[in-house]
Amino acid sequence: MNTAPEHEPYNPCFPGLDPNLIFFYAGYFSQNIINAIGDAVRLRLEQTETTGSARRKIFSTFIEMAQNIVHYSSDSLTPPDQATLEMRAGSVMVSHVDGTFHIICANPVDPSFALQLEPLLEPLRVMSIEQIKEAYRKTLRAETCEHSKGAGLGFLTIAKDSSAPIEYGFEPAANGMQMFTLKATI
Amino acid sequence: MEKFYLAATSNTPEVDFDFPARRLLLKGESYPESAAAFYGDILNKTSAFLDEMTGETLHISVQLNYFNSSSTKMLFSLFDRLNLAAEEGNTIVLDWHHDIDDETILEFGLELAEDFPAIEFHAHAIES
Repeated sequence: MNTAPEHEPYNPCFPGLDPNLIFFYAGYFSQNIINAIGDAVRLRLEQTETTGSARRKIFSTFIEMAQNIVHYSSDSLTPPDQATLEMRAGSVMVSHVDGTFHIICANPVDPSFALQLEPLLEPLRVMSIEQIKEAYRKTLRAETCEHSKGAGLGFLTIAKDSSAPIEYGFEPAANGMQMFTLKATI
Repeated sequence: MEKFYLAATSNTPEVDFDFPARRLLLKGESYPESAAAFYGDILNKTSAFLDEMTGETLHISVQLNYFNSSSTKMLFSLFDRLNLAAEEGNTIVLDWHHDIDDETILEFGLELAEDFPAIEFHAHAIES
């Protein structure tokens, strides 16, 4: 039975799904797929009544999340040591509820990698926007010479644009993996 | 040193580094799969060129609509190298273009101006 309230507008893009859904993709992510679905996200956002500034922040958050999936998801179609043309699985969703956009991503990670992510993410939940900007400035300078693929600065970029503290979680998933989810609000 | 040119793609900017004319241009979008790989060559060529430059003027124009976090780091490295060339007696002029309501790109430009004071910085707000 459809539980959506009757006054909710029918969503022609995603029949049967949440009427607040702006964009949803689940499956394999590569740079080429990001280029293509990034175009779709931009066009979908242009249909919404949103400022250019908010649209840019949503697009930026979407790209950071999607590229994290390409680099870090444990569900990989390409060999783990392959550094280019990677293809890995995950999902990204953008929804629009009461004037607020939620951008949520999910992908499985190795439990040992989950332990590395937690200390990067937990401080971002309690920091003020000024503290996040300061941490961003420090990380930009500190990481510039290293060869990390850049998740530290990526999470700070997401947190800097989020109007509410980021939310994240790890849940047990298939094959002994942890399902990592991350949510930003714009 | 010869001109270095790369056409824009959906996720990499046009790179028009006209070293003989002392004019460098980055224009478009920047979110390659590996910013380190994409900018590595650009940084090496620019650094080799700057090694030979003394007492000259170089103009760099940045017209990027969007760059991801890993590109941000590589751009920071590029301006770090350009600032060094300015401290060594060259004049480096940076024309930093940003959309009028794009505070993220303006803020990053202002940070570059603050961190690299030897570079002559000009911000240009573009009406979209």
